[in-house]
Amino acid sequence: MIKAYILILTYVGNLKSVLNELKNLENVESIAVIAGDYDIIVKARVENLEQLMELTDKIHAIKGVKRTNTQVVEKEIET
Amino acid sequence: MRIRKKYLFYVLALASAIIAAAGTTTDTYISMYVSNPWALCLSIFIVGTIVTFLLTSLLSIKVGGKAMGSRIDPSFHGIRLIRKREIKYQTIAGFANAITTLAYFYVIWSYNDPFTPATILAFSQIVIIYLLAIESITEKNAPTLAEVQSAIIVSFGAVLASLSLKGGINARGLAVVFLVLNPSWALFSIYQRKLKLLRINDCYNDAINIRFWNLIFTTFFTFIAIIAMGYAMHEDLLKASLDALSYWNLLAISMTIAFFSYVFYIRALGLGKASVTQAVKSSTIIFSIPFSFWLASVVGGTIFESSLHALIKSMGMAMVILGVISFALTEVKGYVFINAKTGHSIEELIQEIWKIKGIVSIAAVAGSYDIIAKVRIRSLGKGYERIVRALEEIKGIASFKWHSILKEWEEI
Repeated sequence: MIKAYILILTYVGNLKSVLNELKNLENVESIAVIAGDYDIIVKARVENLEQLMELTDKIHAIKGVKRTNTQVVEKEIET
Repeated sequence: MRIRKKYLFYVLALASAIIAAAGTTTDTYISMYVSNPWALCLSIFIVGTIVTFLLTSLLSIKVGGKAMGSRIDPSFHGIRLIRKREIKYQTIAGFANAITTLAYFYVIWSYNDPFTPATILAFSQIVIIYLLAIESITEKNAPTLAEVQSAIIVSFGAVLASLSLKGGINARGLAVVFLVLNPSWALFSIYQRKLKLLRINDCYNDAINIRFWNLIFTTFFTFIAIIAMGYAMHEDLLKASLDALSYWNLLAISMTIAFFSYVFYIRALGLGKASVTQAVKSSTIIFSIPFSFWLASVVGGTIFESSLHALIKSMGMAMVILGVISFALTEVKGYVFINAKTGHSIEELIQEIWKIKGIVSIAAVAGSYDIIAKVRIRSLGKGYERIVRALEEIKGIASFKWHSILKEWEEI
């Protein structure tokens, strides 16, 4: 089990359509619209790195996505 | 299904409250037939265990490859045996449930008029404050001032809304409520929540099996208690309980309603704090009004004892609604991206950051940042006071960036 944060930057005016596309993707645990350097943060939960690559490929393919930045989780503590 | 977690929480907790309202009406109806409260207590759990077993089995039937119960709780995959890890929690939850029910029936049984128990049991609504107190000690994510305020408004409102003006208040009854009923009820809620948060095969535990196994444990403890009391009181309570089983159809209806109410309640417990879930569930008082009107029209009796009683009840209900709404007020959530200084252990750093109040999850990551922390607080001001200041104190942090969450969807 691999978890990762995928930070997404969109072109202005595409946020809503990108979000709608993201909501249909598999292996996505949560989606948050954020204010800051990035527009969206996606938390992914995949079986292996290959699946993670497939997911990021799918995100890249969404119209309106400018850039992504993937952070693979090494260790996590949750409540 | 991807929806906003907050909405789902309120939908579940309110659904539980509405179903429970129907349940209280059925219970009032049953108590007219079964006069011995102890017998009612044991017989209702015996029938409840059988009904819940049948319901759980029915919900385990697969339709289109998925158990029917997965529509009620997506984590449910069918009836299963209890897991080793669950036994401790279920023992405590079952014991607490048995004590709560016995204390409840003790109050009802102790007085000859129906008004005094109603007045005394109204104080069981204070359980929300008990839960709040426990959470502020045990939970890392301690209740905020706004949550404390809302909880107090809801519990006082709920007391007012369920008071009876004709009934008296006495020290013995209140002692039972404050020292036995409320602590055991709080324990019951907290352990049901712990059970829901347990991971079984890397998935969250399901509410349906939790409810089923809880009834088995509760019936066991109630059985022992009733036998012991029968000896002490020189009364054949077991026979009285078996006699009460002749009303099995009414008891089965009551426990079917309780089953659905509890399943939704346990699911809500998995999403929110026990105190907030309990507070939202207090709205049962409001939802039971139409059912009480219906019952009064069928079997007679009135809901309001006087115009003063109606006024006090309405004020109480207004407080409950206000309190529940103020719980729902938005909270601030955000992600903090952190870069560490070289020469500092990331492991130690995440442990240090984890100690900060308001941090709900933390992950060491490989990428352009070293650590990603998720925060949840009541206001941005608190975010600065509690989190930003605390992060600035930590020596190993080179830089951090705060990103407020504007809207969020989660996989449920």
